Amino acid sequence: MNRRWLHVWMMLGLLAVIGGLARADVLQAAQNKRPPQVLPSGFESTDSLLRDVERAERSPRYSAWIVESSRFMNVPHRAFQPDVGDPPFVDLPVNVGILKGPDGNLTLYDTGWKQLAYIFDWNTSCCWKGIRDQLHAIGLDPDKVTQIVLGHGHWDHAGQLSEFPEAIVYIQKEELKQIDFFLNYPVDFNSGHIRAVNTVDPLTGAQVGPPQQACARTPVCGYPPQTVQEILGKVLHGKAIIIDGRHEVAPGLVIHPAFRGHTYGSQLLQVNTPRGQLVFGSDTYSSWTGIRDWLVANIQQTDTIQQFLAYEKCYVLASRLNSFNNCVSAHEPTSYTAAYPLTSNWWNIPGGNCSRAAELILANGEPTHVPGNPDRTAPEACVSTVPPHSISP
Amino acid sequence: MSEARARLHIWMTPKTLILGIIGLGLLGILTFAVGREATTRPMPASARPSARPPRPPLSPAEEAYMRELWPIHGDVERSVMRMTLGQILYKTQDLSRAELQTRIEQAQITYRGAETRIRALEPPASLRRDHEQYLAAVRLFQESASEAIKLFKDGRDEHLLAAYPKSQEGSDKIREVGGKFWPNEFPPN
Repeated sequence: MNRRWLHVWMMLGLLAVIGGLARADVLQAAQNKRPPQVLPSGFESTDSLLRDVERAERSPRYSAWIVESSRFMNVPHRAFQPDVGDPPFVDLPVNVGILKGPDGNLTLYDTGWKQLAYIFDWNTSCCWKGIRDQLHAIGLDPDKVTQIVLGHGHWDHAGQLSEFPEAIVYIQKEELKQIDFFLNYPVDFNSGHIRAVNTVDPLTGAQVGPPQQACARTPVCGYPPQTVQEILGKVLHGKAIIIDGRHEVAPGLVIHPAFRGHTYGSQLLQVNTPRGQLVFGSDTYSSWTGIRDWLVANIQQTDTIQQFLAYEKCYVLASRLNSFNNCVSAHEPTSYTAAYPLTSNWWNIPGGNCSRAAELILANGEPTHVPGNPDRTAPEACVSTVPPHSISP
Repeated sequence: MSEARARLHIWMTPKTLILGIIGLGLLGILTFAVGREATTRPMPASARPSARPPRPPLSPAEEAYMRELWPIHGDVERSVMRMTLGQILYKTQDLSRAELQTRIEQAQITYRGAETRIRALEPPASLRRDHEQYLAAVRLFQESASEAIKLFKDGRDEHLLAAYPKSQEGSDKIREVGGKFWPNEFPPN
């Protein structure tokens, strides 16, 4: 009897050892499939992305537009795309994505900004118009905005949140944690170049070390307290969903992490449409031609390998229809022209101070929002004005 | 062999030949470079000048005031950010109540110190309004922190909600002054 029990226990022990080894193998294999230094929540395999495509194709479809929050003028091209210098200067739109589902509600991808003194007085920007006015002017109801997905938290993409007090904001926890981490980062060995706020010489603008505390192009610059305050407002009012990695906002609307593709907590938005999956990328997709030609863009705070992996996500998600043509860029200089085909159906927003809109695709019987006789005055011929302003988020 | 031919033979060694070829090459490069400099059109930078309006020159008193306010501004901004993110991370349960308390109390100390330091500054008349605005902002941050600290006495998160409008208004104010004084503080991203 004792010998029989001994055999049973030996068999069970052997099975446990084999099981443990097998599990360790499985875990090791899963670990090895992820590039090193990538957070588990930031990693998605090609297979899982393709499964998201399959699921989305059985989901509701969305109509999509972009509008231009403002336009950076005369930006040295190589400062934006180091591998591209022709023409030497470019104008960069700040694009906001607008999605309309079958229920008539709107989702925004990024919200542009409203730092008018900065835009008009201290930078070389033009063509700003408030997001609510822009929505009205292209025939959409701003009160129908129920969701906002922030591609990242920089001030030119995450402003104007208070214009939509009822909308739910989606932002990655990683985006917030990185700012927090770098706020009091020691400067002993980096001369103040790694800091979240305040790192340029106060008068000359040159990037210098402590005690000048500079912030020009450090890993986390670009978050004035005002912008982060607006996010706090959403959190305190129960209108924010802080996520960690992939998240399905609604059937046909899926957030995909692109950690360090621009900032630490950058995120993409996959949208099911009649022209396949559109993928909005904010500054991770700063340049559409960059995605098309595999060139980095807007890289000062970017891990360029992660940016390429994020490009690849668009190639995977849009692989069934239109491929890279379905990647939606935040600052592509050729936006609102035939050179960026997705955005070629564009027009100047009526009363929009030379800001432009483009209709990307229509779904669910949505009529076109392009005016019958659209104003397509070329940007260089359109006269933009400076509205009266003080600083607002 | 004539005397002239003998002298030529002395100079026509392989070494002098190589040196001569190198010299000619360098002369060619120099000629090309000078010609190119003389004929190249200016860079397009001048063909497309920046639209940024020039900043009016600062008086020495204005410049001195801005320089003195700058480190105070940095301290205030970082404290506001730490308090703001602390509240967010507390609500997402990534920061304990005790850690948030520490942050807010430290911020309150910074705000009080900042007020004292700002009051000690003597702004020129042209910046008096901005000076007052900055002081008002710092006071708003103090009031906001005082309200938020009540959370640690009665445990009610509603105090954070009540504290929020003041910190938001303060952030608007320091952004307005900061934007005017240090326009390059936050570059476009």
